[in-house]
Amino acid sequence: MKRHITYTAVILTVLLICSSGLYGQAKGSFEVSPVTAISSGSDDMAPVILSDGILFCSNRKVNPFLTKKNLEGVRLYELYFAPFDENGKPGKPVRFGSNLGKDTNIGPASVSSDGKTLYFTRNYIVGRKVKKNESNKLGIFTATRNGAQLTDIQPFEYNNPASNMSYPFISADGMYLFFCSDMPGGLGKYDIYMCENVDGKWTSPVNLGDKVNSADAEINPFLHSSGRLYFASDRPGGHGGLDIWYTTLAFGSWTKPVVLDDPINSEADDFAFYAVQGGLEGYFASNRRKYNDDIFRFATTIIRWSVCDTLRKNNYCYEFIEENALKNDTIDVRFRWEWNFGDGTKADGVTAEHCYSGPGVYDVSLDIVNLITGGIEKRQASYELEISDIEQPVIVSPDKIMAGENLVLNAGESNLPGMDIARYYWNFGDETVSSGLEVSKIYSLPGKYNIQLIVSSKPGTGGVVREVCVCKDIEVTADGN
Amino acid sequence: MRKDRYIHIFILSLLLALPAVVNSQEVPGPDENIPFLITFGRQGAETSWGDDDFSQTFFFTIPKDYKDPFYIRIYDADIGGKTDELNNFWNTRMVYSIYGGKGCYTDPQAKGIDPTGNYKSGTMLATRTFGMDNKLDERWFTFGPFNPADGEYYPKFSSNVFKIICDGVSGDDGNLYRYALSRRPDANVPIQGANAFTYEYTFRMWNNNDTSFVSHIYPYIDSGCIYIRQRNFDWDNDGEFVVVSVERKGQAMPLSGEDQWVDDRMPILDAEIGKSLDFRFYKKRGDLVKNNNVVMTVENQYGENLQFFSAPIGGVPVYKPRITVRPKK
Repeated sequence: MKRHITYTAVILTVLLICSSGLYGQAKGSFEVSPVTAISSGSDDMAPVILSDGILFCSNRKVNPFLTKKNLEGVRLYELYFAPFDENGKPGKPVRFGSNLGKDTNIGPASVSSDGKTLYFTRNYIVGRKVKKNESNKLGIFTATRNGAQLTDIQPFEYNNPASNMSYPFISADGMYLFFCSDMPGGLGKYDIYMCENVDGKWTSPVNLGDKVNSADAEINPFLHSSGRLYFASDRPGGHGGLDIWYTTLAFGSWTKPVVLDDPINSEADDFAFYAVQGGLEGYFASNRRKYNDDIFRFATTIIRWSVCDTLRKNNYCYEFIEENALKNDTIDVRFRWEWNFGDGTKADGVTAEHCYSGPGVYDVSLDIVNLITGGIEKRQASYELEISDIEQPVIVSPDKIMAGENLVLNAGESNLPGMDIARYYWNFGDETVSSGLEVSKIYSLPGKYNIQLIVSSKPGTGGVVREVCVCKDIEVTADGN
Repeated sequence: MRKDRYIHIFILSLLLALPAVVNSQEVPGPDENIPFLITFGRQGAETSWGDDDFSQTFFFTIPKDYKDPFYIRIYDADIGGKTDELNNFWNTRMVYSIYGGKGCYTDPQAKGIDPTGNYKSGTMLATRTFGMDNKLDERWFTFGPFNPADGEYYPKFSSNVFKIICDGVSGDDGNLYRYALSRRPDANVPIQGANAFTYEYTFRMWNNNDTSFVSHIYPYIDSGCIYIRQRNFDWDNDGEFVVVSVERKGQAMPLSGEDQWVDDRMPILDAEIGKSLDFRFYKKRGDLVKNNNVVMTVENQYGENLQFFSAPIGGVPVYKPRITVRPKK
């Protein structure tokens, strides 16, 4: 009983204390739905996407004989695996790794990219009752997957029974292990730590620092292939409860975390974010529907347009040509063509060029000066020049940035008259997306990225939503050159 | 009562006279702003005085529908007095001859620019020789009446054509004069649709060194014209010569010096076909070239002489700039 309380305390403390977020991306850019196929009336959480299904942990009731309880009769968490069906949707879950521990909580977990090593959370005390005044905290363990069997269970070398060590996440390259702990020396109730694999050995855990960790709790680290580190936190600035945030490692330091917008985050606890490689879909856990935790699937509603207009630059520069004079080449010195551009400026010549300061209606007129008599023939021709900005969404951003530099993209100069704009969607060209009038983005890798800005209107007559798209290339350099 | 009647008559006279002033078929025409035609006596005069051949031919066209008698009037027909150019003493005689009938225009030599061959073609309808005559000084002399049917009918113009030749048969003075075509013998009353033209224009420039005094002559560009060749004589480099058209603001052309012919070619634009060009002559600023008499001819690519109409066909060409505005690339 006590053990259960301890485990639950860790989980719930982390979950409940954190009343704000995890990952933060784009308002309205995702659709969220509960994964009913794996939902139970109990807590289901910590989804991990594998190649053939979803691994998650749950304290669900199975049946009176198989439901896992500790020796005090409290239901324990254990791992389940829900294989994907032919449509890629998770099917009926089955127990996973039942030999990982007896009478103990198992999970959350993480799997190495080769699928051979399982990193999982488990209570330190296994197989016996916890003594009075004895704590049974959580530690991190590994197991080797050998066919259907998980063998060679080993404790993480930095486990300390005096502290909770949980939520392991192994990076795709196997070089970094993230986890959470309430070990002494942290910044808050629960902090994220990282170890690096050097010559097959994990370095000492390093607290990710005050950019990531706060005085509140940070849990569920997930390093996405885009370079973003997603985590859940109840720090101020979220939507309520735990929220999903993300940060990016740039030149050795983590950027200021950004909270994902709704509908991924809600006023309830939203945590355990896990996305596929592209970041356009994935899973997370939330108790938004009821007290229990459920696993939700998210998928971006932002698609990448196959044909998207390239952002055109507004041109306020014009050439003015007096065609009749131009085609006769003997105008020479007897006459002078004087252009009045209608904005208070003038120029001489059969042809002239002028750049206006901006849109407007300009009364362009042409005077011809007779250099023989000195007489001026006023307004021999005139032209009403109407300059308007191009009707298009507009991406305002630098054209070139350095990798790791914070790129701010703004759509505020979009010129879409008559369009009642509902949303600004951004596709960053690296399989990440966002939404909002102004968004920020950090590219970890140098290269050329084609950014799409998709603007959608509020439903008009008949519910018709109008969408327009522009794109712009951004060059990300390694050294700023 | 009598006073009122005089006022009414005066106003009526003004109203009747106004069209005559505005529309009179005078040579030089009102749009030309040329003070006088000039012909020197051929005995003793020098071409360097501004007349290359001591003869000037003009044609008058009377619309075929006009059946009434008409008159050809000459202002200051005599040689002597205030408006002519004296050389030593007045000794010059001018013969004005008017021709109609077959060949008066269509004879090839009638369309020449030199008084040679059968340039006096057609039927002589009237002629008179003038010397010094104070009674005619700065006054109008009237030939006629003429019957329009006595001209040579020229279908292209839908008009009967008459010809008047002024020959300086003797002496060396310069005869300054003007013509007018009129329905009346005692006033210049225009004939609707009538016109006058020449193939070689010999005229007096203004005695002014103000460039605002601009003279014009208007060659007509017929269909098929690819380029023109203008020739001018004895301009004494007096100012500037530019060609203006509906699509040509001012093409500079060379002007001749003393007793000199110069010529230059100019391609014709499509928009200029069927219209008149405006040959503009700006007097030179500064030192006045006084009593400057000049000659101008123009021909097409076939060497055919083109007409200078006193009332420009199609009206005075007005240059229209055509603006194109396009975004800078």
